[in-house]
Amino acid sequence: MDELLFQDIDEPGLNTIEVYERRGGYETLKKALRELDGEQVLAELQASGVRGRGGAGFAMGTKAGFLPKGTMDKYLCCNADESEPGTFKDRELMQKNPHQLVEGIILASYAAGINKAFIYIRGEYDAQASILEAAVREAYEHGHLGENIHGSGFGVSLVVHRGAGAYICGEETALLDSLEGKRGNPRLKPPFPANAGLFQGPTLINNVETLSNVSHIVKHGGEWYAKIGTEKSTGTKLVSVSGCVQRPGNYEIELGIPAREIIFGLAGGPLPGREIKAWFPGGSSSPLLTPDEFDLPYDFDSIAGAGSMLGSGAIIVIDDSVSIVDVALRTASFYKHESCGKCTPCREGTNWTTKMLQRVADGDATPMDLDLIAGVQQQIMGNCLCVLGDAMAMPVSSMVNKFRDEFEAHLEAARASRTPLADAPAKLDLVGGLVPGVIA
Amino acid sequence: MSVPREVTRHEDAIPQLADVNVPDELKTWIEQRMAMYPDPKSATIPCLMQAQKLHGWLSPDAVRQVAAVMRVTPAYLVSVASFYDMFELQERGRHTIYMCTNISCMLRGADAVMAELEAAVGVSDGDVSDDGIFLRRFECLGACDIAPMASVDGVYVGPLTVDDAKQLVEDLRAERDVLPAKHLTKRPVAATFWSGGAPAGSGAGEA
Amino acid sequence: MNDDVKRDEATARAGDVADQSGKSSVGETVRPGEDNVVTDQAAVAIEEPRLQYQSPFTVVDALPPGYTKKPAGEPERKIISFTIDGAEVRAPEGIMLVDAAKYGGVEIPVFCYEPKLGAPVGACRMCLVEIEGIPKLQTACSTPVRDGMAVITKSPRVIEAQNGVVEFILLNHPLDCPVCDKGGECPLQDISYGWGSGKSRTTEPKRHFEKPVALSDGIAIDRERCILCYRCVRFSQEVSEDYQLVLLDRGAGAHVGTFDGSQYIAPFSGNVIELCPVGALTSRAYRFRARPWDIEQGGSVCTLCPAQCNVSYTVRDDKVMRTLARDNNAVDDGWLCDKGRFAYQAWESEARITTPLVRQGDKLLPARWDHALDVAAAALKKSGERTAALAGGATTNEEAWLLRRLMLEGLNSPHIDSRRGGKLSLDVARTLTQPALTVSVPDIEWADAVLVLDSEPVDDMPILDLRLRKGVRRNGMKLAIATPRPSSLDANTALVARYAPGYAGAFAQAVQAELDGSGDVDDYAARAGADAADVRAVAALLKGAERPVILWSERMLYTTAGAAPAQALCNIADRLGVGEREGAGLMQIPIQANGRGLREVGFLPNIGPGLTDGQPGRTGMSSDEIAAALGSDISALITVNVDPIVEYPNGRTWAAALAKAPTVIAFSTWLDPATALHADVVFPAEVGPEKEGTVTHPDGRIQRLRQTVERAGEVNAGWWVVGELAKRLGLDLGVKIANQATAQIAAGVPIYEGITTTEIGGTGVRWQERGAASNLPAPDATTFLLEAPPAAPQPNGRLRLGDFKSLWSGGEVVNAATLRALASGPRRVELSPVDGHRLGVASGDTVTLKTESGELSALVALRDAVPAGAAFLMTDERDGNEALRAALAGAPELIEVVK
Repeated sequence: MDELLFQDIDEPGLNTIEVYERRGGYETLKKALRELDGEQVLAELQASGVRGRGGAGFAMGTKAGFLPKGTMDKYLCCNADESEPGTFKDRELMQKNPHQLVEGIILASYAAGINKAFIYIRGEYDAQASILEAAVREAYEHGHLGENIHGSGFGVSLVVHRGAGAYICGEETALLDSLEGKRGNPRLKPPFPANAGLFQGPTLINNVETLSNVSHIVKHGGEWYAKIGTEKSTGTKLVSVSGCVQRPGNYEIELGIPAREIIFGLAGGPLPGREIKAWFPGGSSSPLLTPDEFDLPYDFDSIAGAGSMLGSGAIIVIDDSVSIVDVALRTASFYKHESCGKCTPCREGTNWTTKMLQRVADGDATPMDLDLIAGVQQQIMGNCLCVLGDAMAMPVSSMVNKFRDEFEAHLEAARASRTPLADAPAKLDLVGGLVPGVIA
Repeated sequence: MSVPREVTRHEDAIPQLADVNVPDELKTWIEQRMAMYPDPKSATIPCLMQAQKLHGWLSPDAVRQVAAVMRVTPAYLVSVASFYDMFELQERGRHTIYMCTNISCMLRGADAVMAELEAAVGVSDGDVSDDGIFLRRFECLGACDIAPMASVDGVYVGPLTVDDAKQLVEDLRAERDVLPAKHLTKRPVAATFWSGGAPAGSGAGEA
Repeated sequence: MNDDVKRDEATARAGDVADQSGKSSVGETVRPGEDNVVTDQAAVAIEEPRLQYQSPFTVVDALPPGYTKKPAGEPERKIISFTIDGAEVRAPEGIMLVDAAKYGGVEIPVFCYEPKLGAPVGACRMCLVEIEGIPKLQTACSTPVRDGMAVITKSPRVIEAQNGVVEFILLNHPLDCPVCDKGGECPLQDISYGWGSGKSRTTEPKRHFEKPVALSDGIAIDRERCILCYRCVRFSQEVSEDYQLVLLDRGAGAHVGTFDGSQYIAPFSGNVIELCPVGALTSRAYRFRARPWDIEQGGSVCTLCPAQCNVSYTVRDDKVMRTLARDNNAVDDGWLCDKGRFAYQAWESEARITTPLVRQGDKLLPARWDHALDVAAAALKKSGERTAALAGGATTNEEAWLLRRLMLEGLNSPHIDSRRGGKLSLDVARTLTQPALTVSVPDIEWADAVLVLDSEPVDDMPILDLRLRKGVRRNGMKLAIATPRPSSLDANTALVARYAPGYAGAFAQAVQAELDGSGDVDDYAARAGADAADVRAVAALLKGAERPVILWSERMLYTTAGAAPAQALCNIADRLGVGEREGAGLMQIPIQANGRGLREVGFLPNIGPGLTDGQPGRTGMSSDEIAAALGSDISALITVNVDPIVEYPNGRTWAAALAKAPTVIAFSTWLDPATALHADVVFPAEVGPEKEGTVTHPDGRIQRLRQTVERAGEVNAGWWVVGELAKRLGLDLGVKIANQATAQIAAGVPIYEGITTTEIGGTGVRWQERGAASNLPAPDATTFLLEAPPAAPQPNGRLRLGDFKSLWSGGEVVNAATLRALASGPRRVELSPVDGHRLGVASGDTVTLKTESGELSALVALRDAVPAGAAFLMTDERDGNEALRAALAGAPELIEVVK
């Protein structure tokens, strides 16, 4: 397969408009503005079958088609708040080929009749944001952005907007609130952003990788694109591989290749002398898979079929040197930290789960606590305002269920090593320390 | 139950520009930023960040300055600011180290690096050293390919060894470029990198 | 608001019993788990091992309380049918399932849902229900009901989710119910009992905060009890829009607070106490004063300002312990301002007059009633037809009616007034009173364009401020503010217009000129000190609207321009054709709480009851004329709830006039300057919860005050005092109980014809919507030819002086512990930064304001939005001194400001 998004990605100066244009950049935009109307561009996007690369995997063309027609202000938000643990592909795209994204944004705006676009980039990506800002400035200077682009009558503005550190802002409605200058709380849906999104206007929200695909789709046609990958997972996918592998990094693959090929082929397999115990197929919110599942085709539906999800395409590999108990605690405490606090099950559930897992990690628990932890995950799942609660409940639930033996062994080892009470030090801070769970 | 602070009048909830000494540069920056959005309130986060850059942290005075220019209450601003991890509502130092300790970095030894950083800086998680280095554990920074990694004053470095941690702090104290060979921005994509493609200095993605 | 009280009110409305008794007991009507459970639910209780909570809420009105008809601007809803737990129910389409369920007698538990706060947020997840065809459980608070929907609220899945949410909420709740002020009237208790599993599985430590912490003088916050439902912060951000009470931090660490630990100072802050569904926000004044089973609730109406909010007084041992809102959407939308909420403290204060006082030399000494009445009656008898009377404030329609009779029939004097200037012409009064020209409060909310003219609602009629914000925020209302001083509503407006203080009339004439070409708009705007472009924009906004509404302050009538401002308003109403349009019209914001009622029962020198002709040849003196005649043609003055020195614009004239008056008889709550310095006899006046009678809202709604507590000290009913005086003058007014005076009004005021307290009920009735409205005499003229308005003086280096009276003024503020601090502090003058710079002064500096007639000092507050060339002086009772009166005497003047 030829690389699409990563084509010559490390060519020196690709982040500048000179190099990008020298390589034929923005030609697709000019041609589209000249020869196609917005509806036709939209039709290509729909024909391509490209699904959102942010995590939910919803067909991008369909989503763009939901926007009402008419002359009101319409908005595009490029979701560059890449924060799902294990995911770092958008960072690479923005840093190395920002104009590919900018051109995609302009084309997508043209397709959906959008006149105001924003890139919401996580605040931690300082270098990438500066690169994007420079690229946007260049695109304005070269007449690709602004009013009446290349004499077409179509115009769109683009602003790079930096977040300030909140995972939840990757959730599309929280992103909207954050972009409106508020706390990044997810909104109730409906209304959906396509009807009432940013500033209550119709809004299209897409991930960096999704939008980076757009110029290629428009250039080669939706049909051409649809031939890459599988029938329901078209196109290439950037996969971020991290954790206990020899060659962590971003790889561009054709959707549908076996996961084994990514983990062992591209990423080089486990570190010397180690064995892989489990892997997250789609970021830390995806339920864990085991080595039994290495041969699954890596595409949206196959991974979903195995009870997990492709998500943002981030594979995190865990080897036998790591305790699943620690992974569970780290996972839960991340979501606890990132819960916005708006809805009860997520706010309280992530907090409670973390406290319980901490107790398990400390060895101050019994197998009955594992049942409680699993039960609490059920109490969270499906009952929250947005998906963040589920994002913890699903992996934690999978860990406790699939690795129950390891949890129990951990507790048993802790129990066995516990100092008998008779030998305990004379001074005991009973309320503060020794007796867990006493309500102070 | 003591009543905090002096009584104010409800008309005075938003500080008056006439009463708050806003640096011209900040005022101009905020006004320009507000003009970029259909609703000027959208500029809240960037404006707070600009004030934080200027003042080193979001001191009550810094918040009042933004509030006076944006015509919003300081309470609104701290409500927003306290939601986001990168805003500092307590005084912090000249330098900031965010050490990622999320799953991918943890799997590659982040906790040991963090422990070494704590020792080298001489503070624990979330504290500022006397010489102005602020160190905190951070959630996934989106650079698991260089795990374990840290963001030092916004510059991503990794993969970090325990020895790197010492060097990092030394570099910072000497006010020089931190671990220049380990900057993320100098690293080509995985396929190139692992096949031995020129890492640093190739110019790819230099920012 | 707390649910028990709300339910109590609902029950009261349904039964219409409490309305009439004046009192009802919370303790008796609704205690979850007692009688109301046993009767209907006995069978269920046997089948189900755990007790089922059954809400007493079974009746749902088709219209919100107080509404008699749907406002013209509000969209129609059709009635659909859906099923809930198998039963078919009919409800208006599109209302949220939580509300629709009530039509079927089903209660779905909620914490965060409160429709008064705007769109639902779906945060607490307490209301999850199953909807056929949707795989996931849905929040009933945010799911609109549709035809044919099948909703299940009692399936195992739903019950499991409800138990789960209750468990989550209680994880960090301290369960300190025995020492919690909310205990017994706590939705969290009710819901835990009704929808929780009854057991807890957590063993983890709970989160801890310092408790309790003072959020302000009025409110204490206990963050440990907070369940993060966000009602309070949503109120601060989406209802009062003060943006001062906010959520800090995120996730499980989130908590409610203010900026940098400062106090929550906002006009409506106390509402968060009632909104809190747990004991996290409590009233510091009420904390630990009573338990729900110790108290009774008594519904009445607050008469501290024209908003006349419906209140419910919590009474224990015949004392008011707190004031709660009593939802009446047609009046207050269920909110109260802090003044109304905490004023009850002042009524218990030492400063209040609770015995009759009689002057002996230069002292006012307590006296027995008989003696005081005898002294007063003797003076009146002597004065006879040379007696005058002024009424104001919260004087009821009945008191004004009886006093009017005393004056006309007992003393043969027509010199009565409830206004503060010259006479208002009959034509103008009748035109502006036309039902077709008057809007109701709900009409305001649904108007598409509203002009606020010469009023700062938050100070003049606070609750109106919230209604306007609601209209803008939720109904797309376009708001125009035309005031001399920057308004707190400026940020919500489609446009803001400024003019010289005191020249609202000229501004109105300029708007009229733009509408009908009756004058030179540029010239008129210049005379008003306004920008002609603003005038044109206001005119265009009103003209382009389907339902334009103008809210104007009575203050406009008391300038040197005389009747012209009012006539200009009549003309504008005519040009906009508001009379022919549903939901369009005008509303006057009176200066006094019952200003409208006093005028409509005929407490005017030239106009009879119901705006009938005054008696032929018996035109009395207006208040201005009375002031001029005191000591000569007028030898005795009765003042009822009014202090002309403090409240009237020409206070200095009054101070001089009162000094010449041989006899002054005051009905007064406080020793205000006129009372303290000049009264010969003082009758202690009743306050809110002691009163029986009726008042009339600025939109014509007649509302009933009901006595809730015994009168303090020696205080007697106002109607009784007037009756006793009359008796001593040989006149029998025929009033032995308060209701008889109401009956006299029903017979004597044509537009109120036949009204009874039963008809008024708990939510009042607008007279314009009764048949008797046709008794309003038609005006001879409804439009008027006007000359060019007077021109505002050019500052030329000096400043135009405007004044404003803050909400935080009056005896009820300075004598209430919770509010006192708001009224304290030195006198304040607001200047523009431009003038501040020119004069070399900063906020906090002391300056001297000089006029031809005097000078006084004030503390500078520079405000960015104050227009250059103007100064605004805050005035209140404490300023009842000669210096200020001198500076403010007469019409707006130019002042010199010296550092």
